[in-house]
Amino acid sequence: MRFFILAVIACGVAAGPAFAHSEGGLAGGFSGGFLHPLFGLDHVVAMVAVGLWGAFLGAPAIFLLPIVFPLVMALGGILGILGIPLPGVEIGIAASAVVLGLMVALAAKPRLAIAAVLVGLFAIFHGYAHGAELPDGADAVAYSLGFVIATGLLHLAGIAFGLLAQWPSGRFAVRAAGSAIAITGLVFLGRLI
Amino acid sequence: MTLRRAALAIVFCMTSASAQAHTVVAGVGGFAGGLLHPLLVPAHVLVLLTLGLIAGQQSAAHRRILIPLLPVALIAAVILIVRAAAFDSQNSLLALCAICGLLLALARPLPVIVPGALIAAGGVLLMLDSVPALISVQDTLVALTGTAFSALVLFILFVALSARLNQPWQQTGRRIVGSWAAASAILVLALRLVK
Repeated sequence: MRFFILAVIACGVAAGPAFAHSEGGLAGGFSGGFLHPLFGLDHVVAMVAVGLWGAFLGAPAIFLLPIVFPLVMALGGILGILGIPLPGVEIGIAASAVVLGLMVALAAKPRLAIAAVLVGLFAIFHGYAHGAELPDGADAVAYSLGFVIATGLLHLAGIAFGLLAQWPSGRFAVRAAGSAIAITGLVFLGRLI
Repeated sequence: MTLRRAALAIVFCMTSASAQAHTVVAGVGGFAGGLLHPLLVPAHVLVLLTLGLIAGQQSAAHRRILIPLLPVALIAAVILIVRAAAFDSQNSLLALCAICGLLLALARPLPVIVPGALIAAGGVLLMLDSVPALISVQDTLVALTGTAFSALVLFILFVALSARLNQPWQQTGRRIVGSWAAASAILVLALRLVK
């Protein structure tokens, strides 16, 4: 079973761009979509922070987060695709890194509903930015799969790192990572304001 | 076929060279071209994955009903194609994929008719979207036979994989895959409907 899962991950990572029903070539393929969230540092730190916070919040948040986040992000993506104006998207993305980083740094444990609303709100900003940049054509399927999987893997990386918090020194490392994310977010926010 | 061999087969198929659909691979037509079609069209892989995972999520008794539904749907689609014409069913496939992904993410018990209807619809839509352009009826049938064969093999592999996911973390993983598939399908569907 473990081998099968590794094999499927290998497929995703090693697969070349799929030109099936293609209109967009490489830019519209899986690789383009997969790399897209990884080249935006503001996206990366916010997604990792979501995972770190999920690990701090514990069950059921740690399980629900990677399931619910992509779906809420898709709703934000639809707003972006439809061209519905959403003010302050970039500010919202930078603010997500600041707020989520602070939550991790402070080891905040609010009620699940409050955490869900907060993360969901930021997911809409991230989804909006992705949706507005989604390439046209049927190859958009491969592209969107790529960026949804990359986003999910960033969450999982955050969750994996956040699991260190069960040890005192690990807890310090996780909170320090939260602080670093908040500072990164502040830098982005400072550039925008 | 062991699960290990099946995994290797999928790796080889999915990491093979890029290809163009509807001629699928340049210079490869007929049965082989049809065979490659569901492996190279992302929407088709996604539909077969979500349908397979949903079928595997059901009880063994329900799986015995659900698995034969796909070949029946594939054959019904071939009859439809021969009698009428194909149409662009990508939007319908994406909508189906979004529904399947959401159901996987919810992971609630379903009456057998729900996954049954989804599998039947998925089989028909997948074949309608796989008709090769501008070739004779005989060549179309040969290509569609290849498509049906590989779609069925892929579906059964995903069902077998899903049926083995018994640990809580594995079941969470299946829900995550469903959520990712639904999110991708919803985004692309929105894009296609707007543009």
